[in-house]
Amino acid sequence: MKDVLIFFSVITSFLTCVPVVIGVFTLAALRFYFGACSITVWRCKGCQTRVVHSAEAVVQTVSTTISSTQTEPQDQETEQLLLLLQKRDEPEPPGLRDFLQRVEGLVIRELVKNAKSHAFDGLLVNWEDYSQRVSCLHCLQHPSAQERGLHVTSVSWSCTGSVIACAYGRIDDGDWSTERSCVCTWNLNRRGLHTKQADLVIDVPTAVTALCCHPNQPALIAGGLYSGEVVVWDTSRTQDPILAQTGMSADSHREPVYQVAWVPLQRKGEFGVLSASSGGRVLLWTVDSDQGRFVLNAAYALVRQQVPHSSSARFKACGSNTVGVTSLALSPWDPDTFLVGSEGGLLLRCSFSSQTPAAVPSEGQSVTLRAPAVFSFRPRSGPVHSIHCSPFHRNLFVSAGTDGQVHLHSLLQPNPLVSLRVSDSYVFQVQWSPTRPLVFAAATGQGEVQIFDLGRRSPKAAATIVQGDAGQAATCFDFNCQNPHLLAVGKTDGTVGIWQLSTDLTEQSSRESSQLEQIANQVAE
Amino acid sequence: MLTRRIQGQKGVQGIIIVNSEGIPVKTTLDNSSTVQYAGLIHQLVMKARSTVRDIDPQNDLTFLRVRSKKNEIMIAPDKDYFLIVIQNPSD
Repeated sequence: MKDVLIFFSVITSFLTCVPVVIGVFTLAALRFYFGACSITVWRCKGCQTRVVHSAEAVVQTVSTTISSTQTEPQDQETEQLLLLLQKRDEPEPPGLRDFLQRVEGLVIRELVKNAKSHAFDGLLVNWEDYSQRVSCLHCLQHPSAQERGLHVTSVSWSCTGSVIACAYGRIDDGDWSTERSCVCTWNLNRRGLHTKQADLVIDVPTAVTALCCHPNQPALIAGGLYSGEVVVWDTSRTQDPILAQTGMSADSHREPVYQVAWVPLQRKGEFGVLSASSGGRVLLWTVDSDQGRFVLNAAYALVRQQVPHSSSARFKACGSNTVGVTSLALSPWDPDTFLVGSEGGLLLRCSFSSQTPAAVPSEGQSVTLRAPAVFSFRPRSGPVHSIHCSPFHRNLFVSAGTDGQVHLHSLLQPNPLVSLRVSDSYVFQVQWSPTRPLVFAAATGQGEVQIFDLGRRSPKAAATIVQGDAGQAATCFDFNCQNPHLLAVGKTDGTVGIWQLSTDLTEQSSRESSQLEQIANQVAE
Repeated sequence: MLTRRIQGQKGVQGIIIVNSEGIPVKTTLDNSSTVQYAGLIHQLVMKARSTVRDIDPQNDLTFLRVRSKKNEIMIAPDKDYFLIVIQNPSD
């Protein structure tokens, strides 16, 4: 109807050449006229969908919980602080907004292109000589120690990376020994390096069982002795190198000190010495260089009853009450955490700030003993000789002991993430590489240092360092943080080998951090 | 935030806006990294610009990209400001 009317109105206005307004009036008249006879045009369209399938299913909740949250009304104080901060914000620098508008489009185009581009895939650039081999640079020996058949018990690079300090003693001694031993240092960057003659020899009355160089001051070396003493030597002194020693007081250890480490203290720049002994004590000392002695800062004692039990650990009540500590590791990420490995195979995460008093009779110490253990990992079957926290991931650490395996743990789970069989005999030390997140090395009782790369899918070692005879165990090694291609290995035949690593063991590739992250996020069975 | 669109692009790790004297004006990174980037990149851009203009005085630097093993740094220079964007394209 409407179409017809419009048609008529158009015709009318065209014929009469009058403005549309009159046409509308005409339309109205026409409508009235044509009202009687109605012309309708129908149009029909139809469709039908396919058969709709329907099904019924019923669900019932078995258990329900209700939880709700509510934000707290914002503090008056924080509101005021926020306002202040906003006001303090300087007025926008002139022209900044215009600059960004000019540049934004270009930058976003480039960013998008870059994200999709494959132009640089697989591009390897060699800035340095690519060395494929692992080679021995020097073999350092101290003849008088070798004559007495002393073993190298610990090696440590100084913070400058040019001096290697080696401690001699015995690793297989069961009895109390009064054998004198020594600590030798060699400076590798010096012209005229004598491999058979140390630059500095410090005589020590008993065997040295632990050594650690100061992280900032190249002259200071901390050592732990078989008698339980902790000593700091100052190699810049010509007369008497001993800067401080604990002596045999009520505070000190009674059993061999198996690990010493420098710990950053509250005040920035100051370091204390943390020592752990098989008597179950972990002691934190501050150095009082004027008086030449140590002051006990904090003391921790580990006893079986106070060790937390994880669900997978089966508590075996046997033997003595004390938990003899054979290895210690500090976390570079969390200054409050340290890890402890024991003679009985326990692996514990401890906290410096723990306040629980230890269940140990007081022996007249100047500081109350505290129980530091917070979390217990799956225990091993033999002593844990070495633990090391990863410098690239806050939750990962490796541990090694007498079962010939290296276990990669996460701090968050009691079971290891990965266990690698390294050798058929003991593993004496394990350490992460300072430059490659996925690489760690292990020193075995068969005399080899095996270097593993977690990025490779193979359970075999990426490189093996064999030095001297096969019968002598490799007891200790240390990566050089300043010159990452150097590695020092100490053996039971009294030799210290300085090895140069190949480039693929020291150069980090771009995906390694994310691969390590993936490994760390695994959930152990 | 003025740089919201750029920040939202894939793989962008940080954005720094530096003024003509090399002083950071706005940043999404921490203080020490910002100061380090600002100082080093300002020098690099100046050197790159003088290189381009020495070769052809009628030419001028419009964009600089530094690609490294771990990420890529993109610099858009201008008269008064530089925009530095750090992107990890494989993220």
